[in-house]
Order: sequence, then structure tokens, then C-alpha cells
Amino acid sequence: MADDDYARDEENIEDEEVDETSFRAVKDAVLFAIDVSSSMLEPRLSEDPKKSGQESPTSAALKCAYHLMQQRIISNPHDMIGVLLYGTESSKFYEEAGERGGDISYPHCHLFTDLDIPSAQDVKELRALAENEEEAREVLKPSKERVSMANVLFCANQIFTSKAPNFLSRRLFIVTDDDNPHGDSKSLRSAATVRARDLYDLGVNIELFPISRPDHEFDTSKFYDDIIYKTSPSDGEAPAYMQPDTNTSTAKGDGISLLNSLLSSINSRSVPKRSLFSNVPLEIGPNFKISVNGYLLLKRQEPARSCYVWLGGETPQIVKGITTQMADDTAQTVEKSEIRKAYKFGGEQVAFTPEELQALRHFGDPVIRIIGFKPLSDLPIWANVRHPSFIYPSEEDFIGSTRVFSALQQKLLKDEKMALVWFIPRKNAAPVVAAMIAGEEKIDENGVQKVPPGMWIIPLPFADDVRQNPESTMAVSPDPLTDAMREIIGQLQLPKGAYEPQKYPNPALQWHYRILQALALDEDHPGEPEDKTKPKYRQIDKVSDDDEETDASCSSILIDSQRAGDYVLAWSDQLDAAFDKMFGGTAATKSTLVKRGPKENADSAGGPPAKRVKTEAGAGGVDEEVKRCYEKGTVSKLTAPVLKEFLTAHGRSAAGKKADLVDRVEQFFEHK
Amino acid sequence: MAEKEATVYIVDVGKSMGERRHGRSVTDLEWAMQYVWDRITTTVATGRKTATVGVVALRSDETSNDLQEDASFSKISVLQNLGQLLMPDIRRLRDAIKPSQTNRGDAISSVVIAIQMINTYTKKLKYKRKIVLVTNGTGPMNNEQLDEIQRKIQDDGIELVILGADFDDAEFGVKEEDKDTHKASNEILLQAFAEGCGGAFGTLEQAVSELEIPRIKVTKSMPSFKGFISLGDASKYETAMRIPVERYFRTYVAKPPSASSFAMRSGGQGQEAAEAGAGQSTSGGEALTTVRMSRTYQINDESAPGGKVDVERDDLAKGYEYGRTAVHISQTDENITSLETFAGLEIIGFVQMNKYDRYLHMSNTNVIIPQRANDKASLALSSLIHALFEQETYAVARLVTKEAKPPIVVLLAPSIEQDYECLIEATLPFAEDVRSYRFPPLDKVVTVSGKVITEHRNLPNEELQQAMSDYVDKMELDGEELPIDDSYSPLLHRIESAVRYRAVHPNEPILEPSEQLTKFAHPDKQLVKKAKDSLEKLISAANVKKVPPKTKGRKRLREAEKPLSGLDVDALLKQEPKRTKISAENAVPEFKQMLSRADSLDIIRDAVKQMGSIIETQIKHSLGDANYDRAVEGLGTMREELVDYEEPALYNDFLSALKAKILAEELGGDRKELWWLVRKSKLGLIDQATSEVSKVTEEEAKEFFSAT
Repeated sequence: MADDDYARDEENIEDEEVDETSFRAVKDAVLFAIDVSSSMLEPRLSEDPKKSGQESPTSAALKCAYHLMQQRIISNPHDMIGVLLYGTESSKFYEEAGERGGDISYPHCHLFTDLDIPSAQDVKELRALAENEEEAREVLKPSKERVSMANVLFCANQIFTSKAPNFLSRRLFIVTDDDNPHGDSKSLRSAATVRARDLYDLGVNIELFPISRPDHEFDTSKFYDDIIYKTSPSDGEAPAYMQPDTNTSTAKGDGISLLNSLLSSINSRSVPKRSLFSNVPLEIGPNFKISVNGYLLLKRQEPARSCYVWLGGETPQIVKGITTQMADDTAQTVEKSEIRKAYKFGGEQVAFTPEELQALRHFGDPVIRIIGFKPLSDLPIWANVRHPSFIYPSEEDFIGSTRVFSALQQKLLKDEKMALVWFIPRKNAAPVVAAMIAGEEKIDENGVQKVPPGMWIIPLPFADDVRQNPESTMAVSPDPLTDAMREIIGQLQLPKGAYEPQKYPNPALQWHYRILQALALDEDHPGEPEDKTKPKYRQIDKVSDDDEETDASCSSILIDSQRAGDYVLAWSDQLDAAFDKMFGGTAATKSTLVKRGPKENADSAGGPPAKRVKTEAGAGGVDEEVKRCYEKGTVSKLTAPVLKEFLTAHGRSAAGKKADLVDRVEQFFEHK
Repeated sequence: MAEKEATVYIVDVGKSMGERRHGRSVTDLEWAMQYVWDRITTTVATGRKTATVGVVALRSDETSNDLQEDASFSKISVLQNLGQLLMPDIRRLRDAIKPSQTNRGDAISSVVIAIQMINTYTKKLKYKRKIVLVTNGTGPMNNEQLDEIQRKIQDDGIELVILGADFDDAEFGVKEEDKDTHKASNEILLQAFAEGCGGAFGTLEQAVSELEIPRIKVTKSMPSFKGFISLGDASKYETAMRIPVERYFRTYVAKPPSASSFAMRSGGQGQEAAEAGAGQSTSGGEALTTVRMSRTYQINDESAPGGKVDVERDDLAKGYEYGRTAVHISQTDENITSLETFAGLEIIGFVQMNKYDRYLHMSNTNVIIPQRANDKASLALSSLIHALFEQETYAVARLVTKEAKPPIVVLLAPSIEQDYECLIEATLPFAEDVRSYRFPPLDKVVTVSGKVITEHRNLPNEELQQAMSDYVDKMELDGEELPIDDSYSPLLHRIESAVRYRAVHPNEPILEPSEQLTKFAHPDKQLVKKAKDSLEKLISAANVKKVPPKTKGRKRLREAEKPLSGLDVDALLKQEPKRTKISAENAVPEFKQMLSRADSLDIIRDAVKQMGSIIETQIKHSLGDANYDRAVEGLGTMREELVDYEEPALYNDFLSALKAKILAEELGGDRKELWWLVRKSKLGLIDQATSEVSKVTEEEAKEFFSAT
């Protein structure tokens, strides 16, 4: 396992988001500060009688925090999250730690989840609170006395100072519906602004999630414009301040839409912006450079690898593995500086000094150099080797970068062109030739930015990376057959004819963490996994009015109430006809294409179209045969090749001994 | 399996090969060997036992071959019999191939010897047979029995290549002036000889120049999935469609060879190492020994010294982290967290081509082709390919390549060529793969108050837009296709050729990358010339100013240090009575604020002194490493601020004093780990490169860390 991990590390080096300039740890800490006042606790009924459930702003905020906590366990396993409730009757702040708490107290601030990498217990408690369970309700009792915002902010300051020192990114998410907590009290206001300034100087970013009251629009100018700063000084990379999304900030609606808009707004800020490379020159022409930052907006999220757990104590403990390198002949530990890299060649090693190795990797300083432009249509769909990088201008090295970048981006968008670039993202990175294409800004239904405006760099394959097409037989489809397929395609368009990644959570990843959560919290097995990537089989077959009604909101396939399946059957007829014509009737083919219904025999099938399906020596034939044997209990009499063909045809593994194959076939029928 | 190979290189080492001609800096032999070594080392680099090489020297001082009893085979030496060539052979050949003292030795006879070698070695087995003769064509050549030899070459299926220095080649454009008549007739003889048996005849210059063009390794792809592309669930519905297909790589990144780690043999064994070194090809005479990894396991234990204890591998079980909670998974449940899946390529739905963003491709690409030798499958898939193409749509599908593998969502695009049809498949992102970082719009500026502005210093004016548009149009590349076929992975080929070069020339420095590899590093000169005027216009319209490096880190955000309302918080801060002493709880903000208010150096000094004592107290009272991050944060803040305020000496003095205290263990015992953290965080002395007013040189700053 260790070797595997090592190899994986090597591969991922290129993608690591590093900050070479700062002494700070590239980690993120998010502290929710959630207002618990009587108006925040007021449930907002849904106007739509069908959608049951009521949601108060506080419970919506807690659900968001819970959701974010779960999500970050998967996506940012080393980042911290905490939940501070304020305006509560009770106060809680590090009581256990005798060191503090005694002399400084923060009345009506209840630190519900301490800022830390969440534990299973934290998840459980926060869920209980979000779901408003009995014992949790005690906590959500508003205080009669007004809480001092200066105190809340300083409380947050102390949490960040002690729990997340030296983090590159520290963010305070304030969720409130009170746009003017201190009214005209000058002293309280100025105390709060001073504490806000402290947070700013500490490098903590305050992000406000304002909630409008049904009768009152949230007005940031009353108080919060004095609290919030444009950028945090430690986050120099962050471009200009982004407006809070207007639609969300004024979310007045019922509880559910409030929750949704809040979720979407928090989701969009769930990860701190970390650059992949910063201030790389974009060389538009010789002697004409601007500077850009690079980001990784698309990256395969993998489950964290398994680790070793020590079971000798009361609770299982994660073990830290330490690798030492030893010389093979003397078994002495070798220091890093004594390691030499060498290549195997002719039965020996060909060695280079570390300086030489570095020089071999050096093809010049980091740069994105435009070597020309081409129409976007010249970028073949197959010419891809990995995920793209996103770039956005930075004024750090060249004043005026933004406007030049903007001019280029708009030109490329308008004329559907791309730039061909020579791309070295960072020092000593392997250069690639890449296509640079412009990307348009996209906004979701809540007014939250979904895809930022900028440009994408798509590394192109080198000649070395292009594989020859394998040999393949060609049989060009005649028009009637193609037309029949077109009918099917026309029926099964995804909503808006586009692929929306947000609609497809990774089922394996989610299941992995779902199970871990159940194990960690000692819950029951969660039963069936949810898998949105599974096609909507019933809809592909046919859609009744009833189906449409219930599935409309979540379905991924829009379809008219026609039977899409009918078109498939029509296509199947065309296929048989075309095949007969082109290849002379019932010439032996290895497989049939349209599978019969599971129960009925082809010849006696009730539906007329199925009758053409051939049985001899086809997959259908194997199916029939295996099924008959299963019913008779003679599966073990079948030969291994038949079993293998059957299993492969049903997506099952065909590896192992015959007995395993028989087991698997029997399992297949038992589970049906 | 790659085909077995038997190649014999005949190198002319005659006396005349040692001469430099036509102003070349290398002798004919050195020139010829550039080609021969490149070919030989390329074969060696494959590491294949069945790629065999033999080497014959023509016009050598000695005679050493199987036919040497016959006088016509004199002055020909077999330097290397056919077999896998290894490093010791290369070293031996390197010493053996030197210009001789003779010009005698018949080239045609050497070919006969090579044929003989191949015959003996390969017998009648299946081999790729090849003879390469490199000469300058000035030696004697016997034209007897040429027909017979040619027939033999053809019968044995041997490919003959003859390359000559300064051989005339009208096609390549080489013509040697004042060629002596003997050489001219030799060239005619050799050309007729080679071409008469289906071989190749060429000039050395061309062969050497073509070495520049990297050779691509052809990899045979294996199917990564064999199964069905389906629409609908065939086990439940009669209307499901299933087409048997196979999946192969279309692109796959060829990785540069990877280096392994070795340790240098310790100097104590000098003599021994030097001897062993003879068997090890290393550059600086260092002998290498392989490195083994050994792993130990630790857990946190506050009661233990250092807070950590070692645990035995046997007491460990597999598990996962869920947040900071360890979840143990017993061996019987090993697959409990994996999703149950079955192999298949199932269509989820269709999307319109013009609504697909090309940047969503997450991976290398694959081709989906019909099952081999299944005409009906070809026909069925063809109808899908053509229908997608005509409808201008792509399919989105769920792919599981093997039972129990995690599903991925893929895009299926139609690809129709003259004689090839397939679906191109690329991985699409899942919801979790998309990170939503938000950026302001590029075509407008939205102010804090929500106003939309279209004229702003961050937005291009009309002049700039026009200039950009003209420039982009001028810089349009010719040709219909992207230059993928003649772009070569620079790193891969550079490392490969460096390894080959080093194997033959162990004492020479590494070479610059060849021109071919950096062909796309810069725009074409002609194109740049064409667009020169547009570029100048663009530059003037853009009016981009480089930020002088000195002011880069400088308090450039000063004016931004106000809240959105623009309220002067500094004025409020001044009224705060408590803020003359920096408090330990709120040290970082108060330190910064004290500096920003400072109107004399004394106050800065005082702030640094207070901050310093807070940091020292934190270190002193730290339980284990508990306060180290806070101390580093304080130190880092101090360093940053003092660089900005151009008072590096204050930081440097403090850090020197701190180092002394840590080394003297005056801050609560052994704090070396903290010092290591300070080093890692690059919080050393502020040197002149960082701050001009510093008196510390870069070397001194380096020295400061290395000396303990």
C-alpha cells in the first residue's frame, strides 16, 4: 500500500495548490455565527400547500452549517469548521479549559461546535440541533437581553486565534436577519467596528449571509457596511470584492426557498479560493505581458485513502506512518541530501546530479505564451488529456492586466476563437501546448454565480500521447436506420439540453462517506444508496402522466408522454431490415442487439416488434439457456465459456474458477 | 509482444574516417557515431532482451571475424556479436571504436560478415533483420558477386541501409564539390548495391539531422471495457437497446521515464567503492547503492515523552478518517464502503453540442467501437453515431468498466472519418468535482452599492477592444488542424535523450533541448512580423504598467483598509484608551494597529519589543508544540510588517536573539522543533533581496539557518 500511495503522491504534485510565498498553512477555517433571536426562530410557513414543512431562518442556517460540515469532511478533510450561536440565553465558551473562560466571558455567545476538524460526534450534535430535537431546543432559546456585537466579534476572534492560528484562510460566516443590532447606540456601534477591524487585521474575512424579514428588506448600510472589508489582507489573491448575491440577501420567501437560496449561497463560498499558480505572465505577444492567476475549478474528488487505525486504546486512533529510507547494503538510514536519482539503462544506472536533473526539467520560467489563434471549431473533441486550469487576471505584476484580459476574453468569445499557448504553470513544471478558450459567466436560478467568467487552459496531447485507433469493422448506417435513432435521441434530451454537473453527485463517493458516517455514529446501515447517475429506466420505457407529475422536479430526462420505448422498437425493426439487406439475412452474428423481455420467449412475445429478435447463438440464446438451467437447477452443467458470456453480458465479473461463476449466476437470478 | 530484432551496425573506422572535412568540427567517424550511438542507445533503452545488436568495425587495424581465413575479409573486426547490449558493452565499444591506422578493408565483405552473423544468430526464426553500414566511401570496394549477395539479403529478409558522409543526395540537397573519382564510383556502386536488394541508401547529413525528430513509441492499446452500450434496463423492459462495444484509449499521456532513488556509498569505503564504481556508470564517480523504504507507525500519546509512541504494525487495522474520527473497518467488511455496481455503459440522456462547454472534459479520451467481427453491432452503433452527428447532440452515459468499480459519467461524441467511425468518450465532472470560486464579471463592474458601470480602468475601452481584435485576427495560425502530430512531449524526449547521451558520454554536461522539442515555445517569426504593427497598436492602447518589484508587497492595500462604508476606523481606534499596550490575546491586530499609528521609530521599536516578548512567552509556556503555530504566526506577521515599514534590522535583531535563546534552551526546554518550523516557514533573516535597506546578504541569511 505504501508504494501505491507514494506513486499517487508523485502524480498529484502538479495539482497541489501551494502558496510558496506565505508562511501560513494552506488551510481553511470557517466559523458560523448564527443569530438566535425570536425573529430568527420564527418559522416561515410554506405557501405551497404541497410542500410541507416549515423552516425558521435559524434552522435553515443550522441545516446549511450541517450540510457544509458533511460536505467538507469529504472535500476538505483537513479544514476546520465551527458553529457559534449568539443571542442565546445560555453562554458557553471553553468552560473545560481552565486557562481561559474565567476572566473573559462572552455573554449570550454559545459555542456549539468548537472550531476544529469535525468529529463524528460534532456531526451528530449539529444534526440534532438542526433537526430541532428535544434536547437541542434548550440551546435555541433567545436571550431577553441584547447581545453586544463587539463581544460576538471578539469571541470569534479568540476562537480563531487559539484554534486556527496561522491558517491562510479564516472566515466568519454571519447569518442574521437583524440589519441594525445596535440602533443608535454610538458606543456599541463603535466598539463593534473596532472589533471588526481587529478581525480584519487578524486576517479573518467576514462573510455576511443576510436574511430579510417578511416585512423588512435587509439594509447593509445600516450597520454591516462598517463591519465588512473589501478583502482580507492575507488573501491578496482574492480579486475585487464580490457583492453578496442580491437575490439571496433579500430572500424573503418561505422557509424552503430561504433554505435553498441560503444553501446555494453558502455552497458557492464553501471553499476558499486557492490558486494553483499565481502571477504567471500571460504573454500575448513578444514584449507584451499581463499577469494572471490560475485556479483548479474542476478536479476529480476522490475518497480519502484508507489509513491504519490503532485499536489498542479506548477509541480507535489514526496512526501516522513514518517512512525512512535505508541503504540496501549497510541498512543505514539515508538522509534526503544523500539520495541520488538514476535511470535504469542497459542493466545499470545512469545517474545525474540533482542540479542536472533540475536543469533537465527546466524549459524556462513559468509562462502562458500565446503562439497564435485558431477557430474554436478546430479543437477536436478527442484532443484532451486531463482537466483544464482556469485563469483570471491579476493586477499584482502588471497594472491594466484586467482590461487587456477582458478585451481578449470578449474577442475570443465573440468570434469563437481560441489561442494556442505554450504553458509552463510553475517553476520546473513540464511544458505543454494547450488550447486557451474563453469561458462565459453563468448564473444559477438563485442569482449565484455558477461558472465564473475567465479563460480555460486545456492541455493538448502531444504526438506521443495519441493512440492509434484500434481496428474496427465499419458498416455505415443507412438513412432510415439513422432516422429511427434520431427519433429516440429526440425523446431523451436532458433538461435544457445541457449537462449540469451539480445534478450528479458522485454516487460511489457519497456512499463511501455515508457508510463511514453510519459506522462512526453507530447508526443503522443506510439501506439503498442514492444514485442519480442511474438512467431513469421507467421513463426511457414510457412516461405516463402520473410519472411526469411526480418526477418533474427531480428527473433528469424530459420526455413527452409518448412511449420512447416505441421508438426503440421501431429502430430495432429498421436495424434488422438494414442488416438483412446488407449482410444477407440471418448470417450468423455473434450477438443480438435488442434484448427480449425477461420472461417471454421471443417467438411468442406479445409485443409485435420483439418477434424479430434472433435466438440462435446470440446473447439472447445464452440468456435463455442459462435461465432454463437455473430453473432446473443445472447451472453447474453449463460450460465455463457460456457462464462467462452470460456474466459479461450482465456486467458481472467473469473472473475466477467455474464454481465462482456458477455462484455468481445463481446470485444473479436470486436477486432478480 | 514486440517483434524480435537483430541489427548489425558496420562502422567504417578507417584512417580517413579520422579526418575533419568541409569545415565540420567533428571527424567523419565522430559524425557517423552520432547516428550509430543514437540508434544503439535507443535500442538499449527499451531494455528488451530480444532487441539484439551487433557491431562490426570496417577497415580496422586488426582482423577478427569468422571468415578471416579468406584474405578478402581482412581488416574487418566483429566488435560485438549479436545479443542484448548492456552498459559494459557500450563502454567497451566506446573505447574500441577509434580511427585505425589503415585504409584497407572491403565494405562489401563487411556486409557479407554481417549477413553471416545474422544467419548464425537468428537461424530460421522470426526476426526483424537489419544491417546498417556507415562509411565515408573512400575505402576499397570489391564489386564481385554482388548479385549473389543481393539475392542472399533479399532471401533472408534483411533490410540493408547504407549511409555515407558527403554522399550526393539530390533530394536532400547534398552535393560534394571536387569529389574524388574513387569515392564517386564507390557511391554509385553502393547505391546500386543497396537499392538492388530493396535497401536504402542515403547521405549521413540527412540521417543525423533526422535524429532531432523524436521517435514515438507505439503502444498497442488493450480494451479497458468490453460490454454493452445500452438505453433502458434490459432486465425489466422489453424496449431496452443494447449494442456490444469495446473501449480503447484515444489519448493517454506518455510519461517520462521515472528515476529511482539511490544512496551514495559512504566515503569510508573509498577503495571498494571505486572498484564497484567500475561496474556502475555514474557521472561524478559516485558509487550508488539501492535504497529501501522502511515504515514505522506512531500514535499521539500525551503521557509519552515527545507526545508520541511507536506502535506495532500487527496492532493496526484498516480504517478511514471521517473528519477527525477514526473509523475502523474489519477485514470481513472490507468492501463495505464501496458501491455495488455492474459493468455497463448506460445512456442517461442527450445534450446539444452547442450547449456543451468543452472545458468540462476531465480526462484523457477513449474510443468506443463496435464489438469485433460483429457486423450488426457495427451497423447499430453506426446509426447512433450518425444520428448524434446529424442531430448535433452528444450522449451522456454512466460507465462502469468492471463489476464493483465506481461509476463515472461520460460524454459520448460522434466521430465520423473517411474510413473510421466511433464514439469519442471523455469523463465529465460530478457535482463534487466542481469548485465554485466566484470572480467578478469581466465585461462590467458592479460597485458596492450595486451600480453597474461599463467604463472603468478594469474594462477595455473601444480602442483597446479594436486593437485586440485586429491583433488576434493577424495572429491567426494557418492550417486546418492543430499541430498535434508534430508536437512532442518536451520533458519525455529530453530526459530520454539525456539518459542515452549520458550513457555514451558520461563526462559531458547535459545538452539543451533540441529545437524540435521547443518548436511551439514561441510564435512563428513570420507571423510575429506580420502582426508587428497590430501588436504595437495594442500595446499602446492597453497601456499596461509593470509594477516595480519593490512596491509589490508594500502596503498597497492601505486605501482599501476601510470597511465598505468608508468609515475611518483608525480614528475610532485612536480613541480606544486600552490600546497602548499590546495584549497577548489580541496580539496580531493590536501589533499591526500600533505600527500603523506609529509616528516615531521609538514606537515601532516598542511595538516590536512588546510583540517579541509575547512570542517568547508563548514559546516558553507551550505544552509540547501547542503554541508553535501561534508563535510562527506572530513571527511571520512581525516579519511582513517590518519589511513593509522598511525596518528589517528590528526583525533581524529579534530573530537572532530568539535563535540564541532557543539554542540555549532558555524558552522552556528543547524547542528545536519550533526552530525547524521557523525554517520551514521561511521566516529567516530579512535579506537584501527582500528589503533593500537590509544589511544582511543572501548568503548570510542562508548561513544563519544552516549554522546551529
